[in-house]
Amino acid sequence: MQDLLNAATLGSIYLLFALGMALVWGTIGILNFAHGATFMFSAFIGHMVSKETELPFLGVIGISVLVGAVISSLTQLLAFQPILKRSKSQHAAEMRILIGGIGVAAIPLALAQRETRSSPFGFNSSYKSEVFEVLGLRLTTTSAIIIVAGLAIGVGLTVWLRRSRQGLALRAIGVDAETSAGMGVNRPLLAFTTMAVAGGLAGLAGALLTFHLGAIAPETGDQLVIKAFAIIVLGGLGSMLGTVIGAYVLAGAETFVLVMNWGTWVDAVSFGLIFLILLARPQGLLGRKEVRRT
Amino acid sequence: MSDWYYMNVVLIQTTLTTLLLALSIQVPLRFGVFSFAGVGAFGVGGYGAAMAMVHLEWSTWPAVLAGTLAAGAAVFVLGLVVQQLSGLYMGMATIAFTLIVSVVAVNGGDATGGAGGLYGALGEITMTHIVLVVLAVVALLQWTEMKGLGRRIDTVREDPELANALGINIAGYRQMSFLVSGLIGGLAGALTTLLRSTITPAEVNFHLVIVALTAIVVGGSRSWIGALIGAVIFVWLPTVLSFVEEWEKVAYGFIVAAAAIYLPTGVLGVAKDSWHRFRTREERARVAAALQETS
Repeated sequence: MQDLLNAATLGSIYLLFALGMALVWGTIGILNFAHGATFMFSAFIGHMVSKETELPFLGVIGISVLVGAVISSLTQLLAFQPILKRSKSQHAAEMRILIGGIGVAAIPLALAQRETRSSPFGFNSSYKSEVFEVLGLRLTTTSAIIIVAGLAIGVGLTVWLRRSRQGLALRAIGVDAETSAGMGVNRPLLAFTTMAVAGGLAGLAGALLTFHLGAIAPETGDQLVIKAFAIIVLGGLGSMLGTVIGAYVLAGAETFVLVMNWGTWVDAVSFGLIFLILLARPQGLLGRKEVRRT
Repeated sequence: MSDWYYMNVVLIQTTLTTLLLALSIQVPLRFGVFSFAGVGAFGVGGYGAAMAMVHLEWSTWPAVLAGTLAAGAAVFVLGLVVQQLSGLYMGMATIAFTLIVSVVAVNGGDATGGAGGLYGALGEITMTHIVLVVLAVVALLQWTEMKGLGRRIDTVREDPELANALGINIAGYRQMSFLVSGLIGGLAGALTTLLRSTITPAEVNFHLVIVALTAIVVGGSRSWIGALIGAVIFVWLPTVLSFVEEWEKVAYGFIVAAAAIYLPTGVLGVAKDSWHRFRTREERARVAAALQETS
């Protein structure tokens, strides 16, 4: 049971992280490889600021969310937007966006590695995690906050994307960008906002994971990108509910591997999952088969 | 000249092995296959060669051959498995393959030396050997860039449907690109490992993908000359600019991002384009002059 709780905490972190990526990829068609670097660098800035002055819990979270949103929207503005403008076809743009994202991701990573000499960093916060027992399970306040935030934002985003007008517009871009532009959807603006929201979510995930573990290493972000990719592929591109399920499935599988004491194989779980899903059911659990003229 | 050579012998070796690594990613790109498996092949080849030397006590060249073939086989099988994937999915699946290689290496126990890696696999490789190997690879690639074969490969990349209509066996070409990519990547890994005498799981990481990508993206992705330009820039820039040495990784991030935005065809592409433009202008001027004379 305790393991299930740990899996839920881990899954919620994965969810917060993957949601941003899934939202951006599923709607405006950008696979943002710099998402992991955004995640790490938001927590890193939180660390740098809290080194100067002690901050309360919400202060650190606020800074990280803000930094994440800023980095992500800058990436969109300075890298992805120009690439989209200069590419002839969607296919060519996809590759250039992935390569550009890899390049962008290298910058914050190198900066943080240089500053911390690749050692883990944490926050200097007035917040102290408390442990309480529920039904014989040990639950820290941080875990509780993470699980609640993960589920609330996950469900909230899913509903918002399905019900609201902006959600409809976003999904329309995902289906057919040109027609939706003809229907009066302001694609650049929506793309910009979506990237900012995704970045904010990455920042939130970064700060929460750092509070949860006490410290994270600069390289954490790169692994998370691959894991989030596995989650999105597992759930099905374009399906937010699929992402929610995928996040908890991956976390459950990884926790299982840890409990069985095969600790060093943990990273192979997500990579293996990518292969399995792509081969057996490329559209994912809840995804619809992509209709594309090529 | 010889002084300069002895001072920079390591850098020249690095340039050549980086060139091989870059080529292993460039070959599938030329076929329109977005595969990073070449970097995984680098790991397989490096480990294969090191294991053959350390555990089986083979001599240098059989070990290199073993590593190269193992990598080629591994990537070829991977290619069969992932061949129906398109674009991004292929890219991410092959990145996952590359990272799995290092996870397997960490868990390999005595065979791979675990997280500490393998030591003491110092091969007898001279500069002449490396130059010969690289020349052979480049000659092979030059052959694939010329004449009918080169045009068929371009068609497979630019317009698969047209290629299909022309009777080109696209799947066969793409499988071949995986095999070649694996062989070249494995060769790069085996040579690098036996030159340095060690390999660790940490080496087969994401940074290596960026190294190879930087070289290709900056140099040009259509020809081995582009990869050569990229490898030279990549290896020698830090020695020329001490500023770059200090901020090496940050600079590479900027370079990759900027090249993806502004130079999708790389330095080589820009050079070719301006050469074309120059030729066209000359041609037009000649035609115009000829017309004036006749009228």
